[in-house]
Amino acid sequence: MFNFDISKIVQLLQFDKRDPLLFGSSLFFLLFIGVLVILQLLNKNVKLKFAFLTLFSFYFYYKASGALVSVLAAVAVGTYILALGIRKFQNTGVRRLLLILGLLGNIGALGYFKYTNFILQAIAQAQQKPFEALQIIVPLGISFYVFKAISYLFDVYWEFFEEDHSFWDFLLYITFFTNLLSGPIDRATSFIPQLKQNPTDSLTNEDIGRALFLIMLGLLKKYVIADYIGLNLVDRVFDAPVRFTGIENLIALYGYTLQIFCDFSGYTDMAIGIALLMGFRLMENFNFPYKATSVADFWRRWHISLSSWLQDYLFKPIQLSVRRMRILGNIIAIVVTFIICGVWHGASWGFIIWGALHAFYMSFSVLIKVPKTFIYEKLHITKLKVLPVIQTIITFHLIMFAWLFFRMPNLDAVKEVLNQMVTFLKPDVAIQFIGAYPVIIVLMVIGYVLHFLPGKVYQFIESLVIKAPLSVRIVMVTVVIWIVSQFRFADIVPFIYFQF
Amino acid sequence: MISDKMKAAILKELKLKEFDIQDTTLANQVPGWDSLNHINVILAIEKEFAVKFKSIEVLKCKNLGDLQKLVDSKLPQ
Repeated sequence: MFNFDISKIVQLLQFDKRDPLLFGSSLFFLLFIGVLVILQLLNKNVKLKFAFLTLFSFYFYYKASGALVSVLAAVAVGTYILALGIRKFQNTGVRRLLLILGLLGNIGALGYFKYTNFILQAIAQAQQKPFEALQIIVPLGISFYVFKAISYLFDVYWEFFEEDHSFWDFLLYITFFTNLLSGPIDRATSFIPQLKQNPTDSLTNEDIGRALFLIMLGLLKKYVIADYIGLNLVDRVFDAPVRFTGIENLIALYGYTLQIFCDFSGYTDMAIGIALLMGFRLMENFNFPYKATSVADFWRRWHISLSSWLQDYLFKPIQLSVRRMRILGNIIAIVVTFIICGVWHGASWGFIIWGALHAFYMSFSVLIKVPKTFIYEKLHITKLKVLPVIQTIITFHLIMFAWLFFRMPNLDAVKEVLNQMVTFLKPDVAIQFIGAYPVIIVLMVIGYVLHFLPGKVYQFIESLVIKAPLSVRIVMVTVVIWIVSQFRFADIVPFIYFQF
Repeated sequence: MISDKMKAAILKELKLKEFDIQDTTLANQVPGWDSLNHINVILAIEKEFAVKFKSIEVLKCKNLGDLQKLVDSKLPQ
């Protein structure tokens, strides 16, 4: 009979930093089915249902972060107490003081865990002293939930909540497991009102179809395209760029540009889909970002929950306070916002340069806006159908160039890649490369073609899945799981965005 | 309700001939009113009504109806 070893199951469910509950893992799949069953059993008692979801969310975080679950709890409790003060006090000075305390506490926690060693190292380098890193473990996803907490503080301070809410409502918002580690950085003003009723009451058959579509799409993007290209192309080339020709470095850069999109958007597609299966509607996070016709347009389509957060809580306050400087005011706000956007992604100069490069792109386009419009009108090209195509191609390559700083470990490595492209391109190697790695090329072509499909074609495919009957849905999910299992590796490639 | 004067100031700044602006209209629903143009529209309204806003007063506006109320609160009764 079965040799049932309970200690192994306990071990499997315990904290293991190398084995967080990734959405694509079998353990998550099994636990999530259990969660759905329990939610169904508790369906008549909404408070119990939410309490269970909060508990499961804490467990989800414990599984990935162990004792650091206390940081999440401290951020939640501290933020709520200060926000409660802001809600209760009428005095502007007191409210502002509580807001500042809340911001300092949250930014302080984020700064301590993520940036202490980076700052100490920079100081040591400046003083030409040896540097020994402090043993600080960064809690997974801290950038995401701290940003959720900050947005909550601002929304309370600006009186954006139309209805009252409790600590338990806020606790579920901040800990909600589907977007806890990797976003979308949902807003409390959109999430908490959903807790006023049973979220599954408004769940339609079409919503379930859409949720399954997003989960299947996310699985394919993350585990088939992103992981395969990442492991077999991007990592190999970028780990030692000088061993490869310029054309291979270039193909790897196109590969990374697709990988980072499929990795991150695939994971948030799953997060949104899983939340929707439980009746919760999270904000959209990606909208075909590489179809953007300008860098500003890219930021309206890429990591929308972060870019809109930065716009609402950083860019706009700075911009309004220096508005009398007009264009210069806009540029100051852009530079500060994008440098912080870079820093948010991690403690390294590569991220800061990546942010600065986007700040440069945006500032440059602000400065040339008037002459550009004038020239376009003089040349009568504003209504040319080919214009947005050219703009998209240029924007795509500007974004792709910036990704190089995001991906490479240091500036020397960036120089190596660029040097290979300029001095050792060897374009004829591309033919050999395509012949040697057909799966990589096919996946890249599929990834890019799907991304650049006309919106109507994409919506048609989406509607076919959404409106499919139950039997067809089961077949589709089975096929997707089979395909994913064929592409899964012995060692799962870690999700890029957890580190942020 | 959005006053004709405010609507005219917004349309003029954004070089629009006509656009239906209601209390519930959001800034980003008005053509040309993007995040970069935001300050130009706010400055145009301040100039038109000879008022000055605090940054937080503008940030608290959820829609154009709120912005109209803010302008009204600044005008002599």
